Amino acid sequence: MSEVHEFAVAILRSGTPLIYAALAGVIVQRSGIWHLGLEGLMIMGACATVVGIVLSGSFYVAILLAISICVAASILQWFVIERLRANQIIAGLGITGIGIGGTAFAVETIFGSLAAIAAPFGVPRIGAAFGPYSGLSIFVLMMPFAVFAMWAVLSRSRFGLRLAAAGEHPFAARSVGADPSIMRLVAFCVAGVLCAIAGAELAAGSLQIFAQNMVAGRGFMGFAAVIFGAGHAVGSALAATFFSLVGVVGIRMQIHFGAFVSHDLLLCLPYLATVFGVWITGRARNQFKP
Amino acid sequence: MTREGSGTPAISCRNISVSFGEVKALSEVAIDFPKGKIHAVVGQNGAGKTTLARVFAGLARPDSGSLAVNGKDLGFGDVTSARAAGIELVHQSFALPPSFTVAEAIEFASGGGIGFYRRKNLLGRCGKHLDALGIDLEPYRRIRDLPIEQQQAVEIARALASRAGILILDEPTAVLPPPGIESLFERVRKLKDNGVTIILILHKTREIWAIADTITVLSNGRLVAGPLHREQTDPGRIGRMIVSADIGNADLGGHAVPEERTGGTKPESEPPAATGRDMALELSGIVTADTTDHACLRRISLSVRPGEIVGVAGVEGNGQVTLVRAIAGLAEVSEGEIEILGKPATNAGLARRRSLGLRIIPFDRNGEGLSLTSELWQNWAAGELAALPLLSLINPANIRARCRSSMSNWSVRYSSATQTADSLSGGNAQKLILSRELDDAAGMIVAAQPTRGLDIGATAFVWSTLRRARARGCGILLISSDLDELFEISDRVLVMLSGRIVGELEPPYDHVAAGRAMIGAAA
Amino acid sequence: MIGRLEAVLRPLAFILLATVLCGIVFEFAGYSALTMFDSIVQGAFLGRGALEKSLRWALPLFITAVGVGISFRCGFFNIGAQGQFYMGAVSAAFAADLMTGAPAALAVPLSILAGMAGGALWALWPGYLRLRSGTDEVITTLMGNFIAALILVYVTSGPLKDPSGSGQQASTKMLPPEFRISGSDGVSPAIVAIAAVVGVTGWLLVNRTAFGTLASLAGRNPTMLRFQGGKIWRLGLMSFLVSGALAGLAASVELHGPSGRIASGFLPGHGFTAILVALVASYAVAATALAALFFGGLFSAAIFLPILAGLPASAIELFNAVIALLITANIGMRTGIRRFLPRRWRV
Repeated sequence: MSEVHEFAVAILRSGTPLIYAALAGVIVQRSGIWHLGLEGLMIMGACATVVGIVLSGSFYVAILLAISICVAASILQWFVIERLRANQIIAGLGITGIGIGGTAFAVETIFGSLAAIAAPFGVPRIGAAFGPYSGLSIFVLMMPFAVFAMWAVLSRSRFGLRLAAAGEHPFAARSVGADPSIMRLVAFCVAGVLCAIAGAELAAGSLQIFAQNMVAGRGFMGFAAVIFGAGHAVGSALAATFFSLVGVVGIRMQIHFGAFVSHDLLLCLPYLATVFGVWITGRARNQFKP
Repeated sequence: MTREGSGTPAISCRNISVSFGEVKALSEVAIDFPKGKIHAVVGQNGAGKTTLARVFAGLARPDSGSLAVNGKDLGFGDVTSARAAGIELVHQSFALPPSFTVAEAIEFASGGGIGFYRRKNLLGRCGKHLDALGIDLEPYRRIRDLPIEQQQAVEIARALASRAGILILDEPTAVLPPPGIESLFERVRKLKDNGVTIILILHKTREIWAIADTITVLSNGRLVAGPLHREQTDPGRIGRMIVSADIGNADLGGHAVPEERTGGTKPESEPPAATGRDMALELSGIVTADTTDHACLRRISLSVRPGEIVGVAGVEGNGQVTLVRAIAGLAEVSEGEIEILGKPATNAGLARRRSLGLRIIPFDRNGEGLSLTSELWQNWAAGELAALPLLSLINPANIRARCRSSMSNWSVRYSSATQTADSLSGGNAQKLILSRELDDAAGMIVAAQPTRGLDIGATAFVWSTLRRARARGCGILLISSDLDELFEISDRVLVMLSGRIVGELEPPYDHVAAGRAMIGAAA
Repeated sequence: MIGRLEAVLRPLAFILLATVLCGIVFEFAGYSALTMFDSIVQGAFLGRGALEKSLRWALPLFITAVGVGISFRCGFFNIGAQGQFYMGAVSAAFAADLMTGAPAALAVPLSILAGMAGGALWALWPGYLRLRSGTDEVITTLMGNFIAALILVYVTSGPLKDPSGSGQQASTKMLPPEFRISGSDGVSPAIVAIAAVVGVTGWLLVNRTAFGTLASLAGRNPTMLRFQGGKIWRLGLMSFLVSGALAGLAASVELHGPSGRIASGFLPGHGFTAILVALVASYAVAATALAALFFGGLFSAAIFLPILAGLPASAIELFNAVIALLITANIGMRTGIRRFLPRRWRV
């Protein structure tokens, strides 16, 4: 039994940051933009949280710092894409680069070295009442509500419809008085908050450490979850859970079967699944293309 | 809402001018539309009708002027306040996200805020609204699965969800088959009875007289007259006003072929005798697969002899786009045979068809005819390069030289073969396309709206060019929505409706008969 | 005229803008921006031996960037250079491993060809999916990058693992010296010759073949090209293959040249920087060489930055990222600068 709990805890731990990142990607995706800056925003959030805790000694100051930095970077990304008409892919990769390079630069400037920074404490835990799950952070507890809220806003609200219209048919949105550009700004800001949480959970949810490039592709995996989940809040959250499941199973298999199964190749599964998913949806949409 | 004819106008605008870049779309327009009436706004393509509608709806921002709704001033360029004032616009190509359900498409337009809803309630509410309007449609169906008439109905329902007092419909009949037009008009009359002021953008005389209380004519961005009460005028007069700016006092209502306007072209030559020669183009029983974008072809057969200009008339959206694509091999043909200059080409790609002598002057000059951000010589040489193996060496200097001499022959005004195509004016751009398509190897030319947007001089040039190609023995298929153009240079005219050929006209041409055939009225 | 001028001025303006923005950030962070830029220039270009060190990074970058430029020119957003680079490295390493003991004159060219084939194959499947079923190439090539990185980890820690490795970073055995085409300084006649061949061939392909002109038309308006009888899939497949093969070639050069082996996660920013190089150069081959030298120089300067200016090496990464963020923006070059040009220059 304890094995099952352990397994669930591992999946929740590795899955929660991914799910928040995926939600951030989903809302921006709905507004008509591919969010390839998730990776960069996540690492900004992770770094700001840990550095904030170390410098201020308060988690709440730290998370506020993380959120404001991520929202500011999101607005920058929105500005470059929407107002300067930059290519959204390249600009997103640019934000990712700014996140990775900028956090390294900030850490070295503040602490004088690139060594990993440990925080004395992390995100508040959910408490002993939850038994084997007591070590999880409050962000894990909030996660299902965040998924539900995102679903409700996107699929069961007028705002969600207007946002989707801005993405799918900007002229339609404009002709009913919803400026697509503003809708996207809102989406980017929400995404900034979610990425800050994703980064905070990753760095301070269980580890309480910030290391160089610690996001290590999770932001892109979150983006893959958005695509795999067809831009749907619940679908993408499930896709993110599946990705973390594969990761956890991979590690277990490694432990149990050793050399029989390559952990690294198993880790390819989520990416292969994404390619497969995009291929299927693409096929359905483009029956005839010369 | 009262139904008084006088009193404060529903919409009143003064000195409205709109320009897009250097193009003046509207200049100094001032109109009052009385309340509770059906107003028709008419004019040719590019007269400024759609722009005017968008100004009213807050989607276009004028450079000057003022706008009042029910006597109250309304700012410019703000959709939300225009809608708050009761103005709703139904677009020609509907503004509905295709993945939405009918209910969602109606809901998303109905206000700001978060607006949570429950699916069941929304469907119920929407169903009631549709019932009240007499629209028979399940609210859970997706927009992309609906036929075009129902999409229009959804958009009208969307517009009326917020109790609009003024409903503007932009060319609502262009996309509808005749029975659809009838039921649309029925619906519009019912709305009028409920006190809604309706502005319809139309361009067919028959429809105008079928529905409108008043008529307003725009031409080249200026107000010619209006709103005129229908009793104060007659179709002939309106027709003359519509075309006044273009053909001076030519008698549009008459049946005569317009006088020769082509300047120094050769006198009309009889088409060379075609005996013993293959058809330039032969389509037999062409059927195309359904697409969501364009009307499909439903068993089209036609043939073009060498040295013959065959016109294709029809209201836009009746399959002309697909016809060109099917001939080009760019639309999926599910049945039928195509022969080009006597050679079977049903399964050939466009490169092969071009090598047989097929040339195409496409509908969309800037999208399909030219790559605007590419250099002139690249545009000019695209077809010939596409026929080469990919790795064959080319000499750009040589191509540029040939391009320059060809462009000079066709009197394209340019400064360098390496300038980009977006720097050419419309007429010069079309000449560049002509210089590319009408080479010596051309045997069958498909010209789709070759003079759209061109001034009189450039139009005359295109016509004389096509005549010369005919004299040389080319077969020409001319697709146009301008009857005058078709009657001017075609040897015979086919009429297209809903993906079929429904009639064939021969000189002397009869506008009335053509008009009837185009809208499917019995001849 | 204006087009050419703009193509030169635009990237320079963006680099200048990024420099100013970063300079401000560095000043705020308490560094002397001027010292820093001075040391970058010294470390990259002017210092003793700096240019050679810059070339070491610039050459592979140039080779990959020429390929990236060709697929972007054709309108296909192949952002999978990194994955194609890794797969090229893996297949070249396998080939070299298989041919251990064979004469170098035979083994090295074959291994390089294997690297090109590996890169091309890794570009082929996204290309095929894109052209056959419209699967978006941005996603497939991006996913391909991650899969390739994992395959590289697997290969370097499994089949080709160097048993004597320190364990810090899994890597393959060093190639025998006779299989190397340069020392660890990475600049040798053989590598320069390969880059020159790539440059000349790439230039010919872009400027002197039907493919080059058609690709540029396809990238700007595929519909128009289709109406001229062009076959987009032929152009697309070729551009995918060429860009993949060149990324693979860069990897083979890296393997047989300066690195001498492949390690998990080696040259992690190569693909991204190559994309940047191609964008800055507006896909023109000659400009790609200059841009590659510039970014190669930055890369090599990054190694000396901490020593010379006391500035973190990540400053360069930040600088690159700011350029990436801005390079595709449309900051009123047409409307802004044109206004100040004499009328006859305004085409």
